[in-house]
Order: sequence, then C-alpha cells, then structure tokens
Amino acid sequence: MYGGDEVSAIVVDLGSHTCKAGYAGEDAPKAVFPSVVGSIDQMEIDDADNSDKNSGSGPESKSKGKRKLYVGSQDLGFRRDHMEVLSPTKDGIVVDWDMVENIWDHALRKCLLVDPKEHPMLLAEPCSNTQQQREKTAEIMFEKYQVPALFLAKNAVLTSFASGRATSLVVDCGGGSTTVAPVHDGYVLQKAVATSPIGGEFLTDCLLRSLEHKGLSIKPRYAFKRKEIRPGEFQIVDLDFPNTTESYKLYCQRVIVGDIKECVCRAPDTPYDETSYSNIPMTPYELPDGQTIEIGADRFKIPDVLFNPSLVQTIPGMESFVETASSARGLPQMVIESINKCDVDIRRELFSSILLAGGTASMQQLKERLEKDLLEESPQAARVKVLASGNATERRFSVWIGGSILASLGSFQQMWFSKSEYEEHGASYIQRKCP
Amino acid sequence: MANSASGMAVDDECKLKFLELKAKRNYRFIIFKIEGQQVVVEKLGSPDESYEDFTASLPSDECRYAVFDFDFTTNENCQKSKIFFIAWSPDSSRVRMKMVYASSKDRFKRELDGIQVELQATDPSEMSFDIIKERAR
Repeated sequence: MYGGDEVSAIVVDLGSHTCKAGYAGEDAPKAVFPSVVGSIDQMEIDDADNSDKNSGSGPESKSKGKRKLYVGSQDLGFRRDHMEVLSPTKDGIVVDWDMVENIWDHALRKCLLVDPKEHPMLLAEPCSNTQQQREKTAEIMFEKYQVPALFLAKNAVLTSFASGRATSLVVDCGGGSTTVAPVHDGYVLQKAVATSPIGGEFLTDCLLRSLEHKGLSIKPRYAFKRKEIRPGEFQIVDLDFPNTTESYKLYCQRVIVGDIKECVCRAPDTPYDETSYSNIPMTPYELPDGQTIEIGADRFKIPDVLFNPSLVQTIPGMESFVETASSARGLPQMVIESINKCDVDIRRELFSSILLAGGTASMQQLKERLEKDLLEESPQAARVKVLASGNATERRFSVWIGGSILASLGSFQQMWFSKSEYEEHGASYIQRKCP
Repeated sequence: MANSASGMAVDDECKLKFLELKAKRNYRFIIFKIEGQQVVVEKLGSPDESYEDFTASLPSDECRYAVFDFDFTTNENCQKSKIFFIAWSPDSSRVRMKMVYASSKDRFKRELDGIQVELQATDPSEMSFDIIKERAR
C-alpha cells in the first residue's frame, strides 16, 4: 500500500496525436504537446550543426545513440535540416521506447518541472495495450524514473467514469484512430472492442490532398517570410530550405490544415452526396501567408469519411489509402458491431449510454449525426442516446480528467502499485494491481 | 478483487439496512451517499411511500446510489416485487462526484446481495415510472 496523499500524483495520457500531462486534482492538463518527435541522425549532423547552435540546442534535445531527438511544440516548430518527424507509436502500440522516454522526460522535467521520484504516476493506456507493453511500462517507470507508485488505467474506463457511468459504450475519436470500447462495471470488454485507423489525422490528410488537388498550396510557416512593407500591407518572400525532410513538411502542413478542419468542417446531417452539396456557399479561411482560400463541399465531405470510409476513393491524392479505408467500417457500424458482441443483457444499457470523446469528437454536428444514424440502424426496442460533454475541454481531455480525479481520491491511495510491491513481485504484478 | 477501482469502503449500516429492506420489508427505499471515504445510508423511506416520494428524495445536482423495492402486479394478476438498484448521476453534478460514484459502484453493488434490476440514470427521464415498470417484467 502506498500512503502518500500529501504529494499530488502526476497524470499522463500519451495519445497518438497529443500528449496530455498534469497534476492530479486539477481540471485540465498543464502540458499539452504533440506526441511526435523530431529526429536527426547523427551521421548527417555535420551540416545540421549550424542550425542547432542557433536554437541553443535546448537541454531537452537529448543525444541518444546515433540520433538527436526534439520534443515539444516549440522544438518541433523550429525547422532543422534533415529533421524527420516520427511517431513512437503505431496503431496504438509503442514501437520506439526511446522516443516515449523522451516524451515522458519532456512532460515531467520540462513542462511540469517535477522530480518523478517524488510523485505517484497514473498513466492512461489504450484498450489494446498488450501485457508485454504494460510490464515494460512498469519497468521503465520504476527503474528509470524511480516513481514511488504507479497505476495504469484504461482510456475508455476513465472516460466512462468521468461521465458518471460504470457501464457505457465509449466512442473515442482520437488523432490516429477511432476506438469503440464497451465498458461494463468499470471493466473494458476486450472482445468487443472495435478500432479503425480513421481518426482526426486521417481527415486532415484527406483535406490536405483535396486542397492540393484544387491547386492550392499550403505553405508551411518556415517556407516564407512575411514583411510589412507599408502599414497593413504585407509582402511574402518565399524561402527555400532544400534539406527539409518530407515528414517535417507534412507535419507543418498538418498543423495548418488541422486548424482549417477545426474551423470550417462539420459533419453533414445526411450521408454526403456530390450533387446536393455542389451548390453550397463557400467558407473563407485565411492561411498563415495571408492567402485566403475558400472551402466548399469539402467542409461536409471530409467529416463524412468517418461515417463512410469508402468515400476516400473519391478524394484525389488519397489513392494509397483506399485499401486502409475499404477495410475500415463507418462509425455507426462499428458501434453496432461492438454492441452485438456483448452479452444480450447489457446491450440495452450500452445503447442508451454511448459516450463520444476524443479530439475529433469536437467536430460540429458529429454527435447529432451519429445519434441519427444509430436510430435508423439499431433494433426498435433500443433507446439510443449519444452523450458528449457540452464543455469542449471536457470532451477533448475526458481521459485525462478521469485520471486526474481518480488519482486524487483519498480512497484511491491504497490502489497504487507501489515501488515496494514492484521490488517484491516484479513487473508482472502490474496485471494484478491494474486489471 | 475485493476493492473497487476507487478503493471506497462500505459502511456496515448499508448492508444491514438493505437486509431489512429485503427480508423484513420495512423500508420502501434506501438512499446512499458517499461521505469521506465510505458509502453510508442517507435516507430511509417507509413502506407506504410512493415512487414519486422516492424520486423527490434524490438531489437534482448530486450523485447518489439508491435501492427501491417495487411492488407490481403481473399480467397473470400475480403480486410480485423486485428490488431495483439505481445509480443516480445527474448531468449537472460535478465531474469529480460522477467519477467517485461511478468508480465505486461495482464494489458497492456487490455488497448488496439480492438486487434484481440495475439502472443508471443521468436525468429523471431515464428512471421514469414507465421505465421501472418495463424493466420489472
């Protein structure tokens, strides 16, 4: 048993798109930054050296092995020659622990300024986390960070609890994927979990390709200089950095297009079809370089990909993803499939408490559309109810908020997997402590 | 696992009162709340109180657990009763409170042996008398 509730615990939710970290008991995470890292192979460091010195090659950029890693919005915002942008996870599973450690380091030491030795740590984990992954996490936390206590909680369970339900169907529309997970009495029903690779990031890519196909170029912020020549009048000077990697360019474009998506896109009330949306009014959006673009049918078409992945075929430039999309199911189908895999006795309850969470859940009209589609496709007797927090922060950070509250409960202090238990039973004990 | 996800304890009084409701039938309903680090009895309803009296006893902006002993007559004209467990978690209550109640529910419910129907409600429409009647069947 770990008995230190005087020090607040740290809660970290490392998602596929953003990492959320903060102190337990607070309403929102203190640190929110991209969960991708910039990486420069040290082989090529010679000519990249100059730009490094300019940025002061901050202490957070750590030399590990043969590469140098850059973490956090600020470090990623600065363009460096040969810097690739890489993700430590693939389909929700960690593939590069070195990067994950760098992200944790950044969150704990740079953003929160805490010594991990002094704070219990609650980590949110995806439903699909394997036993080996959990043990590895415990090992790193206790051996490297020497945390006094650890707890791993499932994303879906935290979201469900934070909405006041022990039983619910959690629809988590995240950055990298969408996961539908039934939670019953506080446990995820693993067999009925459905995932699809279509998340916010995928929609952003669809929009980016579609805009490019229309001849609009999305200029990353590093690729031009904006000078005020007369008051209110600007001149754009293009800059050329031939050593910039494709992945960094894409990362920067995604930041811009992601914002366009959040500003103008909304889920259509009925399935998208080309003819009825051909005459809708255009919505203007001003790009960072001052160019104003107008977005028409794409406003509705892109979000509809969530409901009908085969729509990707009609988006120019997305050909290489057609296969991914054709194997994916639409959101309503995923919900119904998942519910049908559960015991008959709890289906009714699940239909009436469908929780929408994750970053993409903030999409306008998404909740209304999902509810409407489900009403049409669900059994007659079911009372379909889709719930989403009215508060945008709560919707986006529901997992983190759930973790924050759980870790700050006085009664929770006996639940931690403590360092002494780790020393006595080993890493595999995590499976018993945090089921 | 003996503990709930939140590690909340249950006061013995809860189990005793529930047994009385079940065996002696001297209460219509019991409302429980979480106080400090355990679940305690907040209110007892006498057998002649109605379902309306029961719902009126639930606060509109705070979470509670409750059990209700529901008497009804089946289509075959047979007198029956069923014990409902209701997790009341109104949308307007604070996130922290919702979290505490949801994460402690599983453990608490298992302490009360003999619950026949379970319901979670976030607004009054989810526990209307019609729904109770429907679920009792």
